[in-house]
Order: sequence, then C-alpha cells, then structure tokens
Amino acid sequence: MKRPLLLAMLAVLFLAPLAVLAVYSLGSGWAFPDLLPRRFDLRAVRYIAGEWQSVAKHLASSTAYSLATAALTLVLTIAPAHLFARRRFPGKVLLEGILLAPALVPAMTFSMGVHYMFIRAGLNDTMLGVVLVLATFSYPYMLRALVAGYQSFGEEYALCAQNLGAGPLSRLWRVELPLLMPAIVAGGSVVFLVAFSEYFLVFLIGGGRVPSFTGYLFPFLASSDLGLASALTLVFFIAPLILFVLVELTVSRAYRRRGLY
Amino acid sequence: MTKDSTGRLSLGQALLRLSPLALPCVALFGGGLALAIAQSFGVALPFPYEGGAFAAYQELTRPHLAGSILLSLWVALASAGLSVICGSILAYAIWRLPNALQRWTIIYKTPLILPPIAVGFLAIIFLSRSGVLSSLAFHIGLVDTPADFPSILYGGWGGGIILAYLYKETPFVVLLSLAALRRLDPGLVQTAHMFHASRATIFRTIILPHLAPVLHTVFIILFLYSFGAFDIPYLVGESSPGMLSVEAFNLYFKRTLADRPTAMALLTLMFLFSVGFIVIYTRTASRLGQKERKL
Repeated sequence: MKRPLLLAMLAVLFLAPLAVLAVYSLGSGWAFPDLLPRRFDLRAVRYIAGEWQSVAKHLASSTAYSLATAALTLVLTIAPAHLFARRRFPGKVLLEGILLAPALVPAMTFSMGVHYMFIRAGLNDTMLGVVLVLATFSYPYMLRALVAGYQSFGEEYALCAQNLGAGPLSRLWRVELPLLMPAIVAGGSVVFLVAFSEYFLVFLIGGGRVPSFTGYLFPFLASSDLGLASALTLVFFIAPLILFVLVELTVSRAYRRRGLY
Repeated sequence: MTKDSTGRLSLGQALLRLSPLALPCVALFGGGLALAIAQSFGVALPFPYEGGAFAAYQELTRPHLAGSILLSLWVALASAGLSVICGSILAYAIWRLPNALQRWTIIYKTPLILPPIAVGFLAIIFLSRSGVLSSLAFHIGLVDTPADFPSILYGGWGGGIILAYLYKETPFVVLLSLAALRRLDPGLVQTAHMFHASRATIFRTIILPHLAPVLHTVFIILFLYSFGAFDIPYLVGESSPGMLSVEAFNLYFKRTLADRPTAMALLTLMFLFSVGFIVIYTRTASRLGQKERKL
C-alpha cells in the first residue's frame, strides 16, 4: 500500500469518528440525509458549562475509583508476580492460568453473586465495593505486567542490596520498585482504563449511588439528543487521553532514555 | 524465564506467597461464582423457590435461548476473526513504514482508550438507517430513503455489535502484532523482495507464520471478550434473541424473582464455556515470548 494512502486510511478510520462527534456536538436539528447540522450553535457546550459541577463530580469519582483500583491491584499482585517470575514450584502453569482467568471469564458470571454478597455485607452502593469488584477482574493485567517486569531484570540487584544489609522492605522500595516502574505504569494504565471505561459493574455494585462518568453518560447515549451525547463523550474521552499523553511523555520516555525499557 | 530462576519452592510455600492475591480473589471471584452456581440449582436464594434443582437448566432448553447462544457464538467468532485479519494486515503495513512515519500511526490506539459505551454510541451514529453512512450513501446516490439502507444495527444477526467490536478490537491486534514484528528481521522481507515475491506471498509465507502464536492467543482473548461483554450489546444489540449477557441481565433484573435461577444457570453455562477456551488459551500462551504477552 502507498504510504500516504495508508496514513489517510488510518486517519479516516480512527480520527474521523472523533471529528464527527465534534461536529455533532456543535450543531443541532439535523436529520437524514444531512451530513452537516442545519445550524451550528453552542447548545451542548452551554449545557455542559451550566452542569459543570455535576460533570466534574462524576469525572472525579471515576478517576478516583480507577486510580484506587490500579493501586490496589499493585499491592495485591506484587508478591505473586515475584513468585511467578523468580521461583519454580509444582503446579506453576496451572496456578498462573487460574489466577489470570478472572480477566477472561465474562465479568457478569461472578458479579451477580458478588452483588448479592455485598448487599449482605453492606458493601453495595459504596466506593469500596466498586473498587473491590473492579480489582477482582482487572488485576490479571497488573499481574502479567509485573511478571514481565520482573523477568526483564535479574535477581542480582536485590541480592546485592541484601548482601549490603538491606531488609526485604528496603529492597522492595529502593531497588525493585524503581526497576519495575515501567511495568507498573504499563499495567496500571491498562487497569485504570478498564476500570474507568466499565459501565455495568460500576452501575451494579455502585447502585447508581457511586458517581461514575459511564453511568452519567449512558442515558444521554441512549437518548435521541445526539448533540449533547457527542459533546459529553468528547469531554469524558479527554480525561484518559490526558493521562496517557502524560504517561507517554514523562514516565516511559524517562525510562527509555535511561535504557531500562 | 530468566536464567537465574533456580529457586525451587514447595507447593505449600508457593501458596503462602500467593495468599495476598489468592485469598481476596477466591473470596470475591470464587464466592460470587459459587453463589451463582448454587442459585442456579435453587439453593441459597433470598426468596422461596418452588422449582426443583434442575428446573432452571430445563428453562435453558427453550428455543429462544438456543437462538441467543448461537447469536453470541456467531458474534464472538465473527468479530474476533475479522479483528485478527484486519489487525494483522494493518500491523504489517505500519511495520513497513519508515520510523519517522510510524510515530504518526499512534492514532490507531484511539479505540483502545474509548470506553465501550462510547464505541457503541459511534456505532449508532454511523450505522443506523438515518446515520452518517446512510446519509453518505444518499449523497453518492445509493439510497433514496433511510429504509433503503440495510438494517445493520437491529437486523437480527448482530451486525452492529460485530462492527463495534471490530473497531474496538482491531487496535489490540495491531498492538500485539507490532510488538512481535519488531523482533522480525526486516532482511527476510527484503530478500523475498529480491526474489520477486509478491506482497501477498511475503505476508503469507513470512509474516503470518511469525505472527501465528500471537494471533492464536489474541483471537481467544477477543473471542472471550466478545462472547461475554455487556456494555456494547446492551447499547446496540438485537433484542430478541439477544446476546447471552443481555439475556442474563434481563432475566435477572427485568423479570420476576422466580426467573433468577434461570439467569444464574445461564451465567454458569457461560462460565463453563469460557473455561473451555481458557484451557486452550493457556496452552497457546505458554508458547509466546514474554514481551508479546499482555495477559
């Protein structure tokens, strides 16, 4: 394929939808077969400006539980990742397969039961419940990233620190975590994204009480007000986009420059 | 596997070290699943249930649900298959670009960041009978009224879901294929060129065999995702028969309490089916290099 043609095709496939959202959010009153809105106005922008506190609340809540989920998965998987990367033991392949399964099994198959358990335990409709259920099916991405991270450098660093008298916590904090940082960023980005994008689980466990941008967005997407839905989709797309650009520009680049990744 | 992984542990020691992850995982994932299975047999329900232990599973034999199972399998198969085909070809095209241009191709990652419900919304805007593509077709002169445009979204064969998944999943295939292609020696392709091999021949004889393990693995991941996900089918899916996840949701939330065991039986069935594929997955994934594995 000719190069300009390929780049044009990529742009049409992957940027045109966003461009269409932008055009839709700046107009109103169009129907088949209009390609452009009959008139351009700032109705959607004004609505969002008027509702900014509500929009910000839902965005902040989604960001908070997604970051908390990423942090929780890191805490849960760091020791098992070390084990899978560094040690041999009977049943290793089987155990790793079982522990990766929650990301592959449909989340619905266990979440209805979890919902029932959480109602009994009083965890439904709480932020903690949402974080727990999101971590339950997104941790395998963090586990995989950390295992690969551990395998990208040897055990000598930790052994060297141990010989110099560093205890387990000090080795983890000052030697292994800095070396693992690219893997943590990679795994954390995926976990964040999975949690941030999830609609059903947050709605089920959060019961509509835990604000989430997907729960906020959904009624608009299912309504006939395409202009407002487009504008809100763009607003909520920007948050993860900023995060990813930041990660790409700062953390990964810094590590690449130091030749770690 | 690193060469220094000489440390051997007994199963007990290993399980002890796994406990910080395994205990909460067993409690939530295993507990939730166990409860679903128990309730599918009419046990541990929060209300009195008249049916016998297998009544819920007998409900599953209704022809409506058979249609739902077939639709789910078809959608998962078609979307994962098409994504793998499109993604591997796109990855090859991007890999052949000079490095300076490759940086611009990063836009292929957009659908990865878009939430599924946003992708579903894009499907509505583009594919509905009065949507963007239909309007474009009018201006080209292909259709005169919205009714002339094929009913992609609710046509009964999952067209809208398949295309939405294709858009969401193709970048994932590209991402994993590119990682594998970076390990391929470009000299192989240049040599083949010198012997006047066509692009199609090069793709078939050099690129595809190199990518095969990645593509097998990614196909299974995407198949399972398409099979069990809820958000996109809920937004753009067919209503009757619907995807299994939507059917289970409707049985659980929109019908009477007596239908809950049936919902749980459906979820149990979906779980067993997925496990079968995960067994195949672990076999293919173990053949992959560590750099290519994302899961």
